[in-house]
Amino acid sequence: MTQGSRPRPGPPRPGRPQPVQRRRRPRLRSLRGASLVRLRIGFILIAMVVSVFAARLFQLQGVDAQAYVAKARSEGVVTVTLPATRGTIKDRNGVPLAESVDGLMIVADPTMTVKHASGIATIIARRLDVDYFDVLDRLRKPDTHFQYIARRVPSTEAEGIVQAIDAHGWKGIDTRRDPVRTYPAADIAANLVGFMNANGDAGEGAELMFDPMLSGKDGSATYETGGGNRIPLGDNSTVPPKSGHDLELTIDRDVQWYTQRVVRQAVQGSGGSSGAAVVMDTHTGQLLSVADYPTFDANNPGLSSKADLGSRALRDVYEPGSVEKVLTASSLIDAGKVTPDTKITVPAQLPRGSHVIHDYFPHGTLHLTLTGVIAKSSNIGTVLAASQFQHKELYDYLRRFGLGTRTNIGVRGESSGVLNNWRNWSQINQDTIAFGQGLAVNAVQMAAAVNTIANGGVYVSPSLVKGEATTSGGQTVGSDTSKTHRVVSARAAKLTAQMMESVTNPDTGTAAGAAIDGYRVAGKTGTAQRVGKTCRCYDGTFTVSFAGFAPADNPRFLAYVVVQDPKNGGGGGSVGGPAFHKIMSYVLQKYAVPPTGRKAPTPRIEW
Amino acid sequence: MSAPMFQARNRVPRIAEAAVERARLTVVPRTPARAARVPFVVLVSLLLVGGVAGLLCFNTSMQQASFTATAMEDQAARLDAKQQSLNMELDALRDPQRVAVRAKRMGMVPPSAPAFIRLSDGTVLGKPTPATPENAIRVLPLPTRKPKNLRPTPVVIEAKPSATDGAASPAGTGKAGTKKSHDRHRQQGSQR
Repeated sequence: MTQGSRPRPGPPRPGRPQPVQRRRRPRLRSLRGASLVRLRIGFILIAMVVSVFAARLFQLQGVDAQAYVAKARSEGVVTVTLPATRGTIKDRNGVPLAESVDGLMIVADPTMTVKHASGIATIIARRLDVDYFDVLDRLRKPDTHFQYIARRVPSTEAEGIVQAIDAHGWKGIDTRRDPVRTYPAADIAANLVGFMNANGDAGEGAELMFDPMLSGKDGSATYETGGGNRIPLGDNSTVPPKSGHDLELTIDRDVQWYTQRVVRQAVQGSGGSSGAAVVMDTHTGQLLSVADYPTFDANNPGLSSKADLGSRALRDVYEPGSVEKVLTASSLIDAGKVTPDTKITVPAQLPRGSHVIHDYFPHGTLHLTLTGVIAKSSNIGTVLAASQFQHKELYDYLRRFGLGTRTNIGVRGESSGVLNNWRNWSQINQDTIAFGQGLAVNAVQMAAAVNTIANGGVYVSPSLVKGEATTSGGQTVGSDTSKTHRVVSARAAKLTAQMMESVTNPDTGTAAGAAIDGYRVAGKTGTAQRVGKTCRCYDGTFTVSFAGFAPADNPRFLAYVVVQDPKNGGGGGSVGGPAFHKIMSYVLQKYAVPPTGRKAPTPRIEW
Repeated sequence: MSAPMFQARNRVPRIAEAAVERARLTVVPRTPARAARVPFVVLVSLLLVGGVAGLLCFNTSMQQASFTATAMEDQAARLDAKQQSLNMELDALRDPQRVAVRAKRMGMVPPSAPAFIRLSDGTVLGKPTPATPENAIRVLPLPTRKPKNLRPTPVVIEAKPSATDGAASPAGTGKAGTKKSHDRHRQQGSQR
């Protein structure tokens, strides 16, 4: 702009005297010299400033880089874990047995809350199920900036509490993410579902067994924030979380509930130490219920003793007792050695080597048919019939019934039971095994074995998982992988079922309490001597059980009830029978299974 | 440049000096061809102001969108949480235990033997049996027993058979009786 007003050195104009130009030249030169100097000074200044910048840049990027990166990161960049949603565990109808919901934990900074501790504690204790004095102590804890006040609070409740406290202007209460695993049915199927411990890790049951499948994979989001909001064009990266898969069990929650209550009543009513019940769909082998007592509340596993946290029905083994006689009898019929009408003379007692076998009821010499032996549950009669078997024959049949092998239904710590190899048997071993002593089973194993009779002689491997699932051990389990194999002929199974009907017949059998009016019910009682925990001998306690299915001529469900160590002197008929009756009539009603309407044949038990 | 031109001019024969002199080209002074300055300045400042204002607006709207996004995310999370807690409430209401407790309070018991009516022909399948209180199952757990040290074993005092059949005997048994019944009461109380 200034150039415009100054006279420019233009081309020589005519008429103008030359000396003017000559006079101007030196001024021009000096002017150029001055600007050059200025330029140089400017360059030097700029160079100095730039080198200061460069030095600083080097310091920042080269020397202190890590420290500043860390500082910058802590300043505005937020990394949030995006927790994967843990899969739901459902029952066969899709009702959740275990589900994850958003939750928050309430935490406090006691240095800030100490002033209004009582007010804050009142609000929290009133809204949540926590102890006022406990909260008060935590809010006043000296020398700390962090205290848990309540964990796994549903987020709406937690936010309500924080708002209420904010409304008073009290500071120091905050919330943090804390996913809540809830078990809406509390103790229902807790023995199978398991629980999550306080650290949020799977503690037991299906939660632990199928943990890799259920847990999914956490993601993360990194972004810059300013004043709580994301900076729009700031650094941004998100790794989306992968949700866990759901797990569907074959359990029916309602049946499971009912069964658990019935088992509890049976155990408490008989003074037993524990009990279990299994309900099985005869044709598919799906377990509608595996009940245990005592069990625990999955929402508060800490309140129960450690021994109650698993499923006794699968972990504990016991001697099945007389229920096993139906397996022996059906094997004998299948092998063509006997028929239900085979005549057996049952003496008062039977000496076998150095041992003497007794029946549980005193009697003189009886003339029983095989049906009568089953109906009266005579050990002696069973031993006499089974002595037609070689060791190997009986052993092979029992193995095919699934005894001595894990069912592998996907429960942690399942026991395989005990069935010694026939090569190690002596005669007395075979005799006792024939009536259910000297071998050990778990409840599901035994239920599946008796179910073979109900299913026309075909063994169906039981399943607890609907569809298919992979355990943490990499094993695929579930109803889709269920296998079947024939154990005894359909005719042998049918005849055995008819013999079992005589057990619930009030005129002939030992378990009239198990009969259901209008239905044909087949069953078998079991009263077995128990091996004591300490002495490894029969200690005078008993295991009483009842296994049965209905309708006997077209079976739909099998139920098996076991009570350990009843103290009221009850047997399989008086303790197990009524419990079976309750469970079976409930299942038949719930699944609308009408009676077949055919009449049971009159059993011939004596000759 | 001017030197060769000068030489060329010298080579031109000097004919019609005056005309040549008249027709000789001269350098005319350059007229300052300046574009109007005002529109340019206005244009530039407009661009500048427009650009800055646009950038500001863009930034603000982005910021605004970010606020909205945060607010809506919060709202979504809140609604999600609400749905979940409502679902939990629903689960709690559907809990078979709760239903059973209420049903029991109304005096309902499970039937002892199921029976059905076939709607097509009205036949009754099964044997309809009225349910009785004996069919009830215990829905609630037994109350917890007190710990052993709070359940003293009943103290049984044998009433001494008195030597005389006089007034002392009934008094003595009476005393023992009250003591026993007292213990029994305590025992029952502790089991409750």
